[in-house]
Amino acid sequence: MKQSLVLSSLLAASTVSFAQTPQKIDVGSLPSQATLVENVVVPVPSEVFSALDRVGKPNWEQVLRTTKDQAVGESQPQIALQLGLVIAEGFIAVEAENTEEVKRIGGTVQKLSRALGVEQHVTKHANAILKSADAKDWVGVRKELDRTLKDVRKAMLDLGSEPLSQLISLGGWLRGTEALTDVVSRAYNADSAELLHQPVLLDYFHKRLTSMPANIKKNPLIDDMQKGVLEIRPLVGMEGAQISERTVKDVGLVAGRLVKSINSKIN
Amino acid sequence: MNRLSLALFAAAAVLLPASASATIDDSLSFALEAADPFVKQGFSVREDYWGGDLPVKQTKAIVHQLFKGIEYWFWMGTEVKDAKISIHVYDSDGNLVEVEAKTASRSAMARVVPKKTGSYYLIVEVEKSPEERTHWALAYGFR
Repeated sequence: MKQSLVLSSLLAASTVSFAQTPQKIDVGSLPSQATLVENVVVPVPSEVFSALDRVGKPNWEQVLRTTKDQAVGESQPQIALQLGLVIAEGFIAVEAENTEEVKRIGGTVQKLSRALGVEQHVTKHANAILKSADAKDWVGVRKELDRTLKDVRKAMLDLGSEPLSQLISLGGWLRGTEALTDVVSRAYNADSAELLHQPVLLDYFHKRLTSMPANIKKNPLIDDMQKGVLEIRPLVGMEGAQISERTVKDVGLVAGRLVKSINSKIN
Repeated sequence: MNRLSLALFAAAAVLLPASASATIDDSLSFALEAADPFVKQGFSVREDYWGGDLPVKQTKAIVHQLFKGIEYWFWMGTEVKDAKISIHVYDSDGNLVEVEAKTASRSAMARVVPKKTGSYYLIVEVEKSPEERTHWALAYGFR
């Protein structure tokens, strides 16, 4: 019934007259009733990678890192960050169309989810990833990785662990950003470098890290993350400014340092 | 409030709270069903979404990151019959940037092909509704 209602609504849909819609608004002083929605949706790496694929033909295999022998962190914040990294690696493996690595990542995601106590929310997606990888259904794998991200973060929220859910997002963003800088550095052009201009996400991560509860903030990794995000923010936050080859490398160095820290720091 | 403050203020949870009501879920299903024809055209629909409720003639602003080189569709849905909703997209300078926008009784949509990478404002509104407050949900897809 609902479907037929939507279909009939769509059939009746009309293109909105641009004359009725304000052509310009003052974003510096939105009307008081235009309150801001506080949810920030963090783009998945494949969103940014799609833009890169249009500019050139990146060699994703060179960027891909194996998750073979992936160790499990010693604290919940570290494992949450690792889970974000591994899911982002999954998106890179899809770009590389590397069946074996995608399947391995499916298993690693399960291992890390188990350590976070949310494995039951991931199993069906991990199985779907394996199946899609065997069928070389890359669109299907991307979809399952996105579903994994959503369900595991929702599970963390249900467990009252919102900060861990945010760390999963941060881990994913860091690995995606590191991969982006790697690809752009190999064949620099201003259009590709512009993809790093992400001030809203850096402000979001900064605010979330700052407001983490004391028991999570005391983890030295969180301090590393805060410092790193603050280092990256001025490099890529200037409206309209071209992001230079040097800056791309600098962002990559910071993101790479944080990724390494997530995978090595003993807490 | 300056632009930076707005962006900072926008920072919060990635997902909707676990208590997101069934009515938002219903609204989301209308948004996703509106998205369905575009999936067949190669758009990947994100699993994350925004949602809430609004009185008539009030708007909500969502700050969102968009990338040059990608084509986006934003699909807004509501479960309220006879409600009229709208979604419009502006760049960080406040210029309307959608290249196409459509509206129907339970859904509205806008297509954007960003000319630059950065922060964009998604403005959602309940223009007409028989309810005092109208639930809405907003999903997006890219290709």
